[in-house]
Amino acid sequence: MTDNHPAPGSAARPDAAGLDPVRRLHALAAGVRGARVTTREIAAPYDTIAPLLADLDGELARLVPDMRGLRLTRADGDRIEAVAVGRLGLRARFDGIRRPGWVWLQSRFLLIGMAATPSATAPDHTLVAFTGGVRVPGHAALLPVAVGRAGRRVLGRLEERVAG
Amino acid sequence: MSDDHDRAVLLVRAAQRGDTIAMNELLDLLIPYAGRICTPIALADGPDAVQETLVAVFRGLRTLKEPAALYGWVRAIACREAVRVARRTARAVPADLTSLPGRGDPQLAADIDDTLARLSPEHRAVLVLRDIEGFDEQSAAALLGLRVGTVKSRLHRARDSFRKAWSS
Repeated sequence: MTDNHPAPGSAARPDAAGLDPVRRLHALAAGVRGARVTTREIAAPYDTIAPLLADLDGELARLVPDMRGLRLTRADGDRIEAVAVGRLGLRARFDGIRRPGWVWLQSRFLLIGMAATPSATAPDHTLVAFTGGVRVPGHAALLPVAVGRAGRRVLGRLEERVAG
Repeated sequence: MSDDHDRAVLLVRAAQRGDTIAMNELLDLLIPYAGRICTPIALADGPDAVQETLVAVFRGLRTLKEPAALYGWVRAIACREAVRVARRTARAVPADLTSLPGRGDPQLAADIDDTLARLSPEHRAVLVLRDIEGFDEQSAAALLGLRVGTVKSRLHRARDSFRKAWSS
């Protein structure tokens, strides 16, 4: 059993089969061994949250633990490349996909996935989901270390960011 | 479909090698396919059924030995999950077709949806596979894990229900 939630009221964001970005994240994370999906309903409208997830150069690096900076180096449609700098100065190149309410980034050693969709139950609230962690190099698998805690920290920072 | 099929085979191989970007692209291909099967069976619970289907697909992807068999495998999972989700939410109400509008009603599409909603998930699954997806009785039986005789009798009852509704 997965963490299902009702489709949001907005018909524009889920696709024709009714899969909004948060549902997509649950499906995709199922293919990554060791991945956990953390969700939180945040008291801010989707139109406030979605641009924060899309802002790789600014906001996203502030949300993800141990990341000092992230720079978008290429964007071609929804496909993106970025370079991240860790707290110890190490650099990592990411490939990814960025869409409204969706960002998915993979490097050799890290995986980051975030999704947002309007809340189905509370107007002007947004359901946000995170998955990610330290990747087993070359595999769709994460090291089973603090994957849940990382999700809670990211979503906690996002909540503080929009509250402040 | 053949372009999609060839592309899906490549994406499955890349995903099995650990490429999560390929998994994203594979998800884009599979969502409409799963939706086409799940939505007429699970109706309002279609998004739940599609999500459950794709969770099962991606969880099992690394065990798929023959990527060319992807769509058949996904189809079987979608049928199973759609029926299971529809049952779970207690939408398996017995068919009560006496109040349905007749053939001349202008809201024909709505009538069909209404008729479908009054059938059990199992009957909807048989109708979707036989009359929408075009499978023969043997294939539909294999996908649903039923005997051919059971599929035949369910199909007969489901079509009979429609016939009565239109002629009432």
